[in-house]
Amino acid sequence: MTVKVEVVEGGVPHTKIMAAGIIVSLVCLYLSYLNTMTGTEMFSFFGGLAVVAALIWGSHTIKVLCSYGIGTGVPSAGMIAFGSGVIAMLLATKFGLAAPIVAFVLAIVVGLILGYLSNEVLNMKIPAMVQSLTELAVVGAFTLMGFAVLISGSFTFTGLTTGSITILGASLPSYQVSFIGGSLIAVAFMLGGIAIQHPFNACLGPGWTQDRMLMLTAECGFLSMIVAAVMSFALITTGSALISLIVAIIGWIYTYKQYFALSKRDAADWLDAKPIPDLEGH
Amino acid sequence: MENIVFGIGITALTGALATVAGAAEDTESNIGSQGDPNSQVQLAPQMGFLHRIFNKAVAGEPPAYGLWCCLGAGLAWAFMAMQINAVLAIVLGCVLAVFVQGVYATTAYLGRQASLKKFGQPIYVDILKSMTTVTMAHAFVAIFCTVTLCFLINAALGHPFPLPLLGLVWGIALGAAGSATGNPYYGKERQYQNQKFGAGVPISASGNIVRYAEAGERNSLDNGFFTAKLGGPASGVCFGLIVFLELWRTVIFEKIDFPGLGPGWYAIFVGILMILVFTIADRYIETWARKTYGPYAEPKEASS
Repeated sequence: MTVKVEVVEGGVPHTKIMAAGIIVSLVCLYLSYLNTMTGTEMFSFFGGLAVVAALIWGSHTIKVLCSYGIGTGVPSAGMIAFGSGVIAMLLATKFGLAAPIVAFVLAIVVGLILGYLSNEVLNMKIPAMVQSLTELAVVGAFTLMGFAVLISGSFTFTGLTTGSITILGASLPSYQVSFIGGSLIAVAFMLGGIAIQHPFNACLGPGWTQDRMLMLTAECGFLSMIVAAVMSFALITTGSALISLIVAIIGWIYTYKQYFALSKRDAADWLDAKPIPDLEGH
Repeated sequence: MENIVFGIGITALTGALATVAGAAEDTESNIGSQGDPNSQVQLAPQMGFLHRIFNKAVAGEPPAYGLWCCLGAGLAWAFMAMQINAVLAIVLGCVLAVFVQGVYATTAYLGRQASLKKFGQPIYVDILKSMTTVTMAHAFVAIFCTVTLCFLINAALGHPFPLPLLGLVWGIALGAAGSATGNPYYGKERQYQNQKFGAGVPISASGNIVRYAEAGERNSLDNGFFTAKLGGPASGVCFGLIVFLELWRTVIFEKIDFPGLGPGWYAIFVGILMILVFTIADRYIETWARKTYGPYAEPKEASS
């Protein structure tokens, strides 16, 4: 579709969503540091909440970017967000406690470079391009870091690359059974990459409404959190993984129901096994 | 020698799995109007043609199947890391991945239809219920076969990539095979049965997709039933050949020393040779088809 969709009419302004997204994700990522302070893995679910917050911001950024007539580019926007985010996130994990902040700064740098390349070198000349790609890189980095915390309980490089394997009752360190060694980062990449673009891709059209799209983003975030929590059973203690799973399921059921209600509100009609309605002139 | 025979056996098995996966994937995406046919399903109500066709555009098929297969593989990997039996782990992983696929399908349909309020397109709850479950069943077959073949590649052939990464790579390949092979058959022919055969989609007919069936109104199950006959198997053969030939050249030629370069190079050269052979064959088929069936001239008098 090349029709220009209105950027945002009414609703919450983008800057507000962006600010909330940055603050909530950062706070949640740092709250997960309680894991290290208390010596448990119970607070891993904060990683999942950071994912949801970052995704809500990111899907609205995609809405702003894709309002400039790049309808078929919606899924690729999700891919570039995570492609640029993964660089910043992986490098930042080497910085220990400062990792979320470093990821934020590095992602801004990566995003700015990509934005400059696409607007000036590839000559796309889309007004919101530089800012949107920068935001998307940050969202990608935060989301991946959130998934890393949720699945492995830590955002440091050692935590992400070292796991333990139990053989005949003895626990041995293993690099294969870890977030990066087992390539769970690839799963996190795809989970986030689809979840960030799906809400706008699904809700685009003349009847787009902001609250419905953002509710769908939250739903996608919690849905991704459910499966990520299931995967986390392999890397963190059963009790901690169970907490993440329960939080995710509660959040998902609530947002999924709300999304159904909002769709019913916005739809032209809600029919069950009825024929195609007659339109004048056809 | 025994090693190579074992490898060929695994290769044949993965090829067979891939064929089933490709056929199921194409049928699934056609029932959901994903990929190529989606733009017309989306456009139809805007041109005044309201329809009862399922519209679940989650993403293009390659990224979507990249996620489903990667997720299935990741979950299977996690279950195996918890010391669960591999067969059970793969089944459980795929069931959860299909659950995610189903939820995405429902939200995509609701979102797209609700945003078309201006044109009077209603949301059909019966479509949501009956189509989603059918796509989930087909998606399960596709994901299960793909994750199983990834597991075989990893465990039996000793591929160094972890299971989730193989799932991502082969999932994207599966989506691409289905999207490129089977979908145009639905998008260009089935949706436009009311147009002249082989005429493509003229601008004036944009959005005027076939909405009525032999009896009553057409829904996506009719489309799945139709494309399962030719489009699905064609996609299956495509993906099956990709997987089979890729593994075949590796298993047979990887160990043989290439004079001056060492082992592994034979496999690469055979791969390049295969690409050349396929390019020439494709070009030949294309020119043959154009000469035989095109250009799209006025139909002559009906001959016997």
